[in-house]
Amino acid sequence: MRPLLFLLSLSAVYAQNGTADGATRADWPHYGGTQLSWRYSALNQINTANVKKLVPAWIFQTGDYADNLQATPIVVDGVMYLITPRAQVSALDAATGRLIWQYRYPPNQAGILRNSGVAVSAGKVFFGTRDNYLVALDQHTGREVWKTNVDDRKQCNCSISAAPLVVKDKVIVGGNGGDRAERGYLTAFYAKTGRLAWRWYVIPGPGEKGNETWKGDSWRFGGGSPWMTGSFDAGLNLVYWGTGNASADFYDADRVVAGADKARDANLYTASVVALDADTGKLRWHYQEVPDDNWDYDSAYEVILMDREIRGRMRNILVHMNKSGLTFVLDRTSGEFLGVFSVPEVRNWITGVTEDGKLVGRNEPKLGKTETFCPSVYGAKSWNSIAYSPRTGLLYMPTNELCNDATANDTKPVEGAGMMNAALSPKLPPNRATYSHVDAWDPVTGKRTWSYPYKYVLAASLLATAGDLVFTGDPEGNFFALDARSGDKLWSFQTGAGHRGSAISYSVNGRQYVATPTGWQGTIFGSVAAALFPDASFRMGSTLVAFALPE
Amino acid sequence: MTRSLFLLAVAASAQNLPDVITQGEKVFSLTCATGYCHGVRGTAAAAPRLAGRGFDQTFINNTVRRGVAGTAMSGFAASLSPPDLIAVIAYVASLNGIANPSLAAGAAPAAPEVALSPDASRGRQLFSDAVRGFARCSTCHEVNGIGISVATPMAQIPASVPELRSLATPQVATANADGETMPALVLSKTSRSVILYDLTMPPPVMRTFEPPSVNLAEGSTWRHATVIGSYNDAELRSILIYLRDVAKP
Repeated sequence: MRPLLFLLSLSAVYAQNGTADGATRADWPHYGGTQLSWRYSALNQINTANVKKLVPAWIFQTGDYADNLQATPIVVDGVMYLITPRAQVSALDAATGRLIWQYRYPPNQAGILRNSGVAVSAGKVFFGTRDNYLVALDQHTGREVWKTNVDDRKQCNCSISAAPLVVKDKVIVGGNGGDRAERGYLTAFYAKTGRLAWRWYVIPGPGEKGNETWKGDSWRFGGGSPWMTGSFDAGLNLVYWGTGNASADFYDADRVVAGADKARDANLYTASVVALDADTGKLRWHYQEVPDDNWDYDSAYEVILMDREIRGRMRNILVHMNKSGLTFVLDRTSGEFLGVFSVPEVRNWITGVTEDGKLVGRNEPKLGKTETFCPSVYGAKSWNSIAYSPRTGLLYMPTNELCNDATANDTKPVEGAGMMNAALSPKLPPNRATYSHVDAWDPVTGKRTWSYPYKYVLAASLLATAGDLVFTGDPEGNFFALDARSGDKLWSFQTGAGHRGSAISYSVNGRQYVATPTGWQGTIFGSVAAALFPDASFRMGSTLVAFALPE
Repeated sequence: MTRSLFLLAVAASAQNLPDVITQGEKVFSLTCATGYCHGVRGTAAAAPRLAGRGFDQTFINNTVRRGVAGTAMSGFAASLSPPDLIAVIAYVASLNGIANPSLAAGAAPAAPEVALSPDASRGRQLFSDAVRGFARCSTCHEVNGIGISVATPMAQIPASVPELRSLATPQVATANADGETMPALVLSKTSRSVILYDLTMPPPVMRTFEPPSVNLAEGSTWRHATVIGSYNDAELRSILIYLRDVAKP
């Protein structure tokens, strides 16, 4: 029975979806599962027929409760690597939860408390820190091998919370700071030595193409930091990354050249998807999703690489959701625009998008005036990831329906200082009973197949599996499985604390596990949710729960 | 010190309380309510709610001035002007039902700003000029709270640009580790580990080796001149003027 099922699933992959294989198997080796960022496991021992029997196999309490557990765990050869927001790194036996080693970074750093994961490669465990270091540990002992400063936190106020991306012999990492007066960049270091390999600035300097899209010297502080993790296509030797918004967020008069056409590239390469040569960091192509962003609509989220037939032709594509919920389909070889769809139900920042991807009816913030914008700066989706199943051909997308009031101001840039340029209040859109949903979307047709509504907000990543299951968790502590084809809820387990991390699946000695971080988030998204839903109970913690079928 | 306390008291008493609170609300709106922070009127956005929390005057004073260690809340004693600082403290106090905030209480004035000459100001900007990426002084030197303290604090400031370029660096050794040779600044050497900065290229990398795999020899081919190549003579002159200014006792 089992081998037959497995064969069926393989044939489905190849019949429908070209050659790009973004599925994980025994290991969960990268942040997005594989470097194609599908968050999809080809394991099908746990499936729609037996998921009701799923039970916890082991539980690991990190003991570090400072802003909870928001990472994607990595599993390589039966060992799980897990990081807390204060950079306590644990190596665990992935079958039992036994602690193998633990490393603690000096804890008293300032800056945003978040760490979305480590990268594991070539005998090392890599991670970024709140004070802007990139650190490499020995994979087997947890001892520090090298550590290098990526930027001076005292000057830029920036930090690193994204999981690094290891591409061949290099570790690539971005930084936080898109809402501050700084010039964003990606930096690649050699994995073996920690030495600098290349740096790519999001904002071109004087004399470089694209600099002319910035007014005066606003390019120096124009933001754009790529603060999440990119993807890699080994065949094309290209890394793909989404960039942050332009700074200042809600006020563009000091950064946009007079008379600029806002339907065309403005403030390059902010709010864009970029393809860089993996060896040199040179820009191959770009696609700007929100020219002259004025609403904090970053393009920093995950880039999903797949091969799909579009209008009768098999194409190498990428799918990318902007924070506004506009989701773009591009040819990943050339950057050619192939399609776009808008995911949130509540939207007033534009009236629509043309067939060639241009924004229509931009609702621009006005200096000194308080206006409501939807979606909110917290995103139609937050930085938690989408999943993609090649068996169904569908994207599984967590979506929030929130708005915010913003009053724009014209504060001038001061290096390293905040530059959001608006007083903000989150608010709920009127006349709704639910404020989030998990949706299944077909990226080729741009149509929604099903939608699973939820009362509050959703902030955990999705996981899809070859058992035709979609897993995620809610802030009330429920970890649940939906049928990938219908959206019906098939199983749920109360883990005791809210979900803000990313679930994974892996196997050890033939037994499939589904593991999820729990613990919610105390600040930023967590504070917003607490303010909007004062009667709800979104509990915090810092625990990894691994589920399996009874032996 | 006494003088700036006196100025604060004058600034506060020159205005009546409602004016100060109105000013505080304006400062709050532009500084504290923005971005992923406290929201309009402190009603919570992405950072904790500040209104109606029962905070007392001392707590508000200390938190606004010094920040909260280990969180994203930085201190504002240095970045806000003294009147704005007092106003925003009074405003947050008003959000917590404190009807008569003591406007000068707990006023611990920041260290007086050293007035820099135009040349020295230019030097300060160049020292940590972000446009230069890793090719800036602050990649390896920490001065006046800016920079990464890879190099030990400067013992003396070179008298001239040629002297800066030809700076002797006998503390840089040559490390031979895992089949590589590199200029190295050794941080610690015990029976279990050798920790050093690999100075092959900026930025320096702090690397840890196990003793049998590393050999150290005195001296190196590393030269200060090669890592300051992004600056011209005029720029280096400004930087030296800045360093001399801040080095004054």
